[in-house]
Amino acid sequence: MRFSPAGDPGTPDARSATRYLVWLAGRHPVIFGAGLALGVIWMLAQALVPAVLGRAVEAGLAQRDPDALVRWGLALLGLGLVQAVAGILRHRCAVHNWLGAAYRTVQVTVDATNRLGAALPRRVAAGEVVSIGTADIEHIGGAIDITARGAGSVVGIVTVAVILLNASQPLGLVVVLGVPLLMALVALLIRPLHRQQAAYRDSTGRLTARAADIVSGLRVLRGVGGEPVLSERYRQRSQALRADGLRVARVESLLQAAQILVPGVFVVLVTWLGARFALRGEISAGELVSFYGYTAFLVSPLRNLTEAADKLTRGHVAARRVVRLLRLAPEFTDPATPVPVPAGPGELADVRSGLVLRPGRLTALATATPQDATEIADRLGRYADGDVTLHGVPLRDVALATVRERILVADNDAQLFSGVLRTELDPHDRAEPGAVAAALAAASATDIVEALPGGLDGEVAERGREFSGGQRQRLRLARALVADPETLILVEPTSAVDAHTEARIAERLGPARHGRTTLVCTTSPLVLGHADHVVFVEDGKVVAEGRHEELLAAEPRYAATVSREEDR
Amino acid sequence: MSNALPVADIAQVRRYVRELIRRHPRGLAAALGLHALAAGAGLVAPRLLGDLVEGISQGVAATTVDRVVAAIAAFVVVQAVLVRFAHLASARLGERVLAELREEFVDRVLALPLATVERAGTGDLLTRTSRDVAALSRTVRFAGPETLIAALTVLLILGALVLTGPLLALPSLLAVPVLWAGTRWYLRRAPQGYLRENAAYSDITDGISETVEGARTTEALRQAARRRARGDADIRRSYAAERYTLHLRTVFWPVAEFGYLVPMVATLLIGGWFHLKGWASLGQVTAATLYAQQLTDPIERLLGWLDEFQVGGASLARLLGVAAEPDERARASATPDERAAAPGSAGGAGRLAAHDVRYAYRPGHDVLHGVTLEPRPGERLAMVGPSGAGKSTLGRLLAGVHAPSAGTVTVDGRPLAGMPLAELRTHVALVSQEHHVFIGTLADNVAMVRPDADPARVRAALAAVDALDWALALPDGLDTAVGAGGHPLTPAQAQQLALARLVLADPHTLVLDEATSLIDPRAARALERSLAAVLQGRTVIAIAHRLFSAHDADRVAVVADGRITELGSHDELVAAGGSYAALWRSWHG
Repeated sequence: MRFSPAGDPGTPDARSATRYLVWLAGRHPVIFGAGLALGVIWMLAQALVPAVLGRAVEAGLAQRDPDALVRWGLALLGLGLVQAVAGILRHRCAVHNWLGAAYRTVQVTVDATNRLGAALPRRVAAGEVVSIGTADIEHIGGAIDITARGAGSVVGIVTVAVILLNASQPLGLVVVLGVPLLMALVALLIRPLHRQQAAYRDSTGRLTARAADIVSGLRVLRGVGGEPVLSERYRQRSQALRADGLRVARVESLLQAAQILVPGVFVVLVTWLGARFALRGEISAGELVSFYGYTAFLVSPLRNLTEAADKLTRGHVAARRVVRLLRLAPEFTDPATPVPVPAGPGELADVRSGLVLRPGRLTALATATPQDATEIADRLGRYADGDVTLHGVPLRDVALATVRERILVADNDAQLFSGVLRTELDPHDRAEPGAVAAALAAASATDIVEALPGGLDGEVAERGREFSGGQRQRLRLARALVADPETLILVEPTSAVDAHTEARIAERLGPARHGRTTLVCTTSPLVLGHADHVVFVEDGKVVAEGRHEELLAAEPRYAATVSREEDR
Repeated sequence: MSNALPVADIAQVRRYVRELIRRHPRGLAAALGLHALAAGAGLVAPRLLGDLVEGISQGVAATTVDRVVAAIAAFVVVQAVLVRFAHLASARLGERVLAELREEFVDRVLALPLATVERAGTGDLLTRTSRDVAALSRTVRFAGPETLIAALTVLLILGALVLTGPLLALPSLLAVPVLWAGTRWYLRRAPQGYLRENAAYSDITDGISETVEGARTTEALRQAARRRARGDADIRRSYAAERYTLHLRTVFWPVAEFGYLVPMVATLLIGGWFHLKGWASLGQVTAATLYAQQLTDPIERLLGWLDEFQVGGASLARLLGVAAEPDERARASATPDERAAAPGSAGGAGRLAAHDVRYAYRPGHDVLHGVTLEPRPGERLAMVGPSGAGKSTLGRLLAGVHAPSAGTVTVDGRPLAGMPLAELRTHVALVSQEHHVFIGTLADNVAMVRPDADPARVRAALAAVDALDWALALPDGLDTAVGAGGHPLTPAQAQQLALARLVLADPHTLVLDEATSLIDPRAARALERSLAAVLQGRTVIAIAHRLFSAHDADRVAVVADGRITELGSHDELVAAGGSYAALWRSWHG
């Protein structure tokens, strides 16, 4: 049973949630089948214990036969050993079933996310996809895992029913009819419990969010105060959660009492009938012990079945979410016959605004409103549809991979991924020696790397949270420079750095992009002053072009946008 | 990691647990007593069944059978009722203890010195806040009561065995060495294994979040293969961790199962031998065998929860560890005598001064090398300089957030270090570029600095920073829920909230650390008007990104490499032709 945790996941069956679950189960048919078989053996071994015990009491003790006692005693031991071995093997299969399903779901989720790319936020709430990772993979794994125990439990219950019917029809009937009744009774109680538990989990989540909120706001608190108020508010919520917890406990305690009472009453009924039959000589004293044992045993497969029903339902709901994600289509697909773009630098033009990027130059774009800049950048990078041409070829007719390769849009929402910093800056490991250092210097980010323990080989935490906003911005800029695309579009690359650093970046950006096409969207005079060419856009249209000084002198609206002296 | 927050040692954890137990003697006694009674009631049935078997083999009357079965039924009902109240009692105790644990933890976090948070990063603290509190919650809510019940049940079954026939209890003891050795082996390895397993699992979850949040970046930088590789690497690590714990269970579970099996088989065989010898009745042996079988379930549960206990203990150690960090402000505090001797602040001019201060985040790496700065009351002083020069650190020292490692920061001659926080904040407040909107209502977010402030003052504070209009326009006005999960605010609005807090706190000196830097310059313009209202009549030390603020300031201090290199008015510095003048010229064109 070769199990490869991170192998090729294959093509998931996304036609429905059920088909997806079946597809998952079918990925490891041997493990899945062995799990079912072992689950049956394991449960049967348990089901037979009362029978053997009864024989030992009857044949060995009541009849005073030492040989029979030893024989049945050893049979009991053998049965126990079979149960232990089958149990652990079943568990091993179950774990692999669980992991196989969970891991595969992780893989197809990552693939689907990558396929959707920039379109993802527009197609589905990020939280919906993230919750696949936090909760759904557990439920899907659980649904596949429970099949083995569920199958064993069904066989166990059927076996006991058959034995009982053979021993005594009325007693057997009591058990066969009583079991579904018991299940229904317990299921009735479990539903309100789940509701209460879900409410408790939500409150817990909210309280945790509050504590995390305090941690995140600690620096702010240290500056102006407010600790006693937050402490008091947390305490109130915590006490409310405590009350919620007691509400759950009330339902839970009822359920626990029912779990004693319902099977208990059943045991009493069977024992009473059994004792009556034994008195009349219809069954032996040993069989009475067996009957008692069977009814006590039935509690366990019954519980398994309730759990199986619950897990399969949850797994199905979770699989629905996964299937929904798998069926989403990306926003742009490649044209039927992609038009090749001539090699080498070429003019990139946005028809709607009238912006033209001349190859090999550092162009700066100043806009009266920030939305104008992001809309133009999105069109130029084909994150939004628009009449944009590269080398005269409409981007719509170009393969998306080609667009992504030749034009890079680097904005401030870009993510810094966790991992080794060097890999983060140079993900394709293609940069020539010294290129990373040069990019860091151009982005004025060398000091960040020096301060990071381990330097370039140091680890970046999730979202680069150990860096300040300005540091993250400089690292993102360095990453874009290392990527060294033919056309680079930078959106507000210096909005979060101080004036000294901004001045350095402005000076170094041109030389770093020498011979390449670059667009910087900015309103900083320091950066605008270093651009080869400045374009001013108002209401989505180019209204003036030229060098920074010329525009300052000739275009009062430009001057008002880039310099705030006017306001004072 | 030397930077990580400390973890409490075993002795501290034990002391704390003992102290917890001492705090709730009655709740604990109630839970213990009820669970013991419930478990006891559950043990009567096998004994009565044994009597029944004995009676039937000797041919008793049907009425006797009815009486015995009725007794069994009665005990089932009694046990069910007892279980209900026992569960409630232990839940009541558990929830109370849990609430205390988390509330004390949050109070410890709130008292944490900022230097510690900066050094360790908020990541570790966030993990403790979410993951460790959750782990401990599992231990207190489930592992605690379940272990308690299981242990009581085991004891009672053994007691019942002894009552049934002292000799018949002996075979069950055969299981002790097997279970003892097996459990010892397992518990030495399990907690580490499960911690690693959970950590690897969280990595998978975090990896998916990152992939989802960075979907556009992945597409832009063509990193799909790398995200895939990250996912696969997480999966492989998780599988390695899972395989280890699975190996542990593969060894331990069969051993344990054998351990449960031995008492039942041994009781049957040895008891049967006693019966053949005439030392024990059929009923005694039957009951003893059933009791031995009944031992399985509680022992299994007991052993199953033990590793959860270890995980909970480790979490508790991390939660308690947060308190173990000494407060640098307290460490640097003056003795009570000195404080008493210092002149009172009432009526003071509010003159803040730093004398020859040094500061190091890591010992031996001074960020400030003996800085002296005396802002004049009412003046606006701008601090400029490259990133990492020590501007922010100096700002925090001036605001009393950090205590200097050498030198003094005083207000009207009294050292800030060691001054009670409530008093310190009537003197000086710090606003940083990290504007944080707390979970709660908008009004709460402002009023938190002055809990006694009435709604009218909160409105006045919002009005002073031009925020009242948009605040009233929110869905529920000032009662709108904001912060994580609430109504979203723009960065500029968040910053206005921070400024409104300042108006309400009303200190005579303000330290503004790049307070408007993360906001789009076009929005910053409106914000600066709000700011002007706040600054009116106060001493202001502004750490500036944008040179406008420097231009408008009364004096400018240029900070470079942990020292003040230039100090004077804008015009003086421009005339002096130093680094400030160069920057101004390049900026101003």
